[in-house]
Amino acid sequence: MSDTPIFDELIHAPTRLSLVSLLAATEWAEFKFLRDSLALSDSALSKQLTTLEDAGYVEIRKSFVGKRPRTSARLTELGRQAFADHVAALQQIVARAGLAVLPDQVTH
Amino acid sequence: MTIPPIDAELALAEMQARRAQVVDSNLVPSWFWFSIGGLMVLFVAAVESEIGWLVATGSVVYALSLSALILAMVRKAKVQVRPDLLGVRGGLAIAAFTLSLVALGLVLGFLLEELGVPMPGTLACVPVALGLAAGGPLLMTHLRRLMLSRPLAGGSR
Repeated sequence: MSDTPIFDELIHAPTRLSLVSLLAATEWAEFKFLRDSLALSDSALSKQLTTLEDAGYVEIRKSFVGKRPRTSARLTELGRQAFADHVAALQQIVARAGLAVLPDQVTH
Repeated sequence: MTIPPIDAELALAEMQARRAQVVDSNLVPSWFWFSIGGLMVLFVAAVESEIGWLVATGSVVYALSLSALILAMVRKAKVQVRPDLLGVRGGLAIAAFTLSLVALGLVLGFLLEELGVPMPGTLACVPVALGLAAGGPLLMTHLRRLMLSRPLAGGSR
């Protein structure tokens, strides 16, 4: 089954694009991993995650490992689908541009 | 909304780079394979010595060291890669690697025993340990390539 090309402005914002791309490759990702990978502050990452959570794209889980609290995040099914559709939209834009620059397809 | 094709291409490259970041953070490091191989040889040598205190000490050291290694790996893992990135081919590669080393160890061990060579189990473990130390990183390289070759939005439906 192919994904429908839908450009998602929520995902495409630079920091969120990186964040969602990391989450798309994972089942669960720890807050610390995301923060360090994206070189964000705790508050900046929390803000981005909350935005995605409000849109239903991300699920946040809080647990304890021993006595230490551990926060993890993952893409929901809706988030995965939105990401897939966004990828399809980007690929479509690139593919169209590729066709346009082929000399034998330029129309006069 | 539409964006310039170059921006779309950059966005796709960013997605791929972030996937590589996740995959790289999950690969089993070379020291792990080397350590497991060394531990295995020491453990089998201790057991095969048939000296009571050596068997007991070797077993305890093996169990504790193995636990420490696994714990170190678990603590290192801050993220869990999506299983469908590994896929059936990845699973088969891991199974083939494991089974071939087990088969090598068993065949060599029984063969050496049949020939009356002393410490056959330990000697058979040496090439298996070398196989782990050399083959583990190769397996990781193969799995990395496999996971990065999957479609960016693969398996979402």
